[in-house]
Amino acid sequence: MIYPRKHRRTRRYLRALTFVAAAFSLAGCAHQSATHSITLYERLGGAVKIDAVVENLLYRIADDPEVVVFFANTNIDLFADSLASQLCDVSDGPCRYEGPPMDRAHQHMGLTDVHFNRLVEHLDAAMQEEGIALGARNELLGRLAPMYADVMRRQ
Amino acid sequence: MTVFQLTLTTISPLFRHSLAVYLALCLAVCSVLIATPTLAGSRILGTGAVSAIEGAAGGGLSPWAVLSSTASEQEVGITAAASRAWVDDYQLTVTGASVNIYDRLELSVARQTLDLETLGGELSQDIYGVKLRLLGDVLYHPWGIWSVGVQHKRLVDGAIPTALGADNTRGNDMYFSASKLLFGALAGRNVLLNATLRNTDANQGGLLGFGGDQGNHSWVAEGSVGVFVTPQWIIGTEYRQKPDNLSAAREDDWQSLYSAYFFNKHLSLTGAWLDLGNIAGLPSQRGGYLSLQAAF
Repeated sequence: MIYPRKHRRTRRYLRALTFVAAAFSLAGCAHQSATHSITLYERLGGAVKIDAVVENLLYRIADDPEVVVFFANTNIDLFADSLASQLCDVSDGPCRYEGPPMDRAHQHMGLTDVHFNRLVEHLDAAMQEEGIALGARNELLGRLAPMYADVMRRQ
Repeated sequence: MTVFQLTLTTISPLFRHSLAVYLALCLAVCSVLIATPTLAGSRILGTGAVSAIEGAAGGGLSPWAVLSSTASEQEVGITAAASRAWVDDYQLTVTGASVNIYDRLELSVARQTLDLETLGGELSQDIYGVKLRLLGDVLYHPWGIWSVGVQHKRLVDGAIPTALGADNTRGNDMYFSASKLLFGALAGRNVLLNATLRNTDANQGGLLGFGGDQGNHSWVAEGSVGVFVTPQWIIGTEYRQKPDNLSAAREDDWQSLYSAYFFNKHLSLTGAWLDLGNIAGLPSQRGGYLSLQAAF
């Protein structure tokens, strides 16, 4: 089929427009699905599941020589409680994280993206092994991701 | 280190060999690498995208802002890919390789061969690409990742493109690209958005030469939306606006529906349905696409 040049151009712009519109409506859906009536905390499985994930994560850290070195001077029981309360807080649970801010908690540790990524993988694997659904895992990771800037600020 | 040398020395002569030989070698190398997972980069699975047809990390049709492989800071990653597209009257074969240095700089090389199955003959070009990550991260930065890239393209034999009215047999594309992952954005699934703005005078990506009687360098937009159905599997669509410089061979925008599966950090397989429109006078070119990538 041969189109006159100007019609073809119009058709091309229409196609591009359709594409952009589809992208934006997707982003719109994204916004809507974020406003759930039940909290992420409940979807994760509450305190019991969060404690299980933290314990699972700690075993993974203990088995990872590249990451465990950063915990040499850490009181593991305190750390576990603090992390659990942070995950509970971040997921709109009935807790308030009262530990140090993320930049101070990680300052001068010499962390690189390698360590950060490794911990993300361990956390996701721990959630997966504890049977947390993909949607809740993704949403929790999405809420933790912006902490990257604070964690890496004073390295 | 031996693997690094082995790969670099094997890639260049393979441009001349068949896809099957290439794939076999590629599989052999990566199966060795799967047995030694410590060689994987530390970035999260899938964040290196797949190999676009011009060699850079991207979605197939279009380069994305992410850099290839899963290399992070202080790490070096290498990828090799073989791709083939079958449309009504043409077959495109692409072999390519890239190096990611510290997740800052990506260098890529690709050889494209277009078989003109209906018209007869073939067209080939080499593409040398550089992509620099300007800022950000596709997962952790609120603005996503932003990169700038250049692709230098050289036709192997410019006789047919020149006869069709192309001004040059070499050209340079420059592009800005941004990519961002939206966590849990669609039914709890992660959504990957990408937008690329490219300045180009390449006709059909360069296979039909550069510039022509209808125009020269112009800005075109490319974009893609993908959904990670699982952390290993992304499906999506891609759109690439194209210039239309030759009155003798009108050109349409490209689009695709794609599905890419990451078996692990070393191996991915991409399949796609393509609509490439009019190519060199033959209308509505549609068909399939397969691409295998090995990364380490």
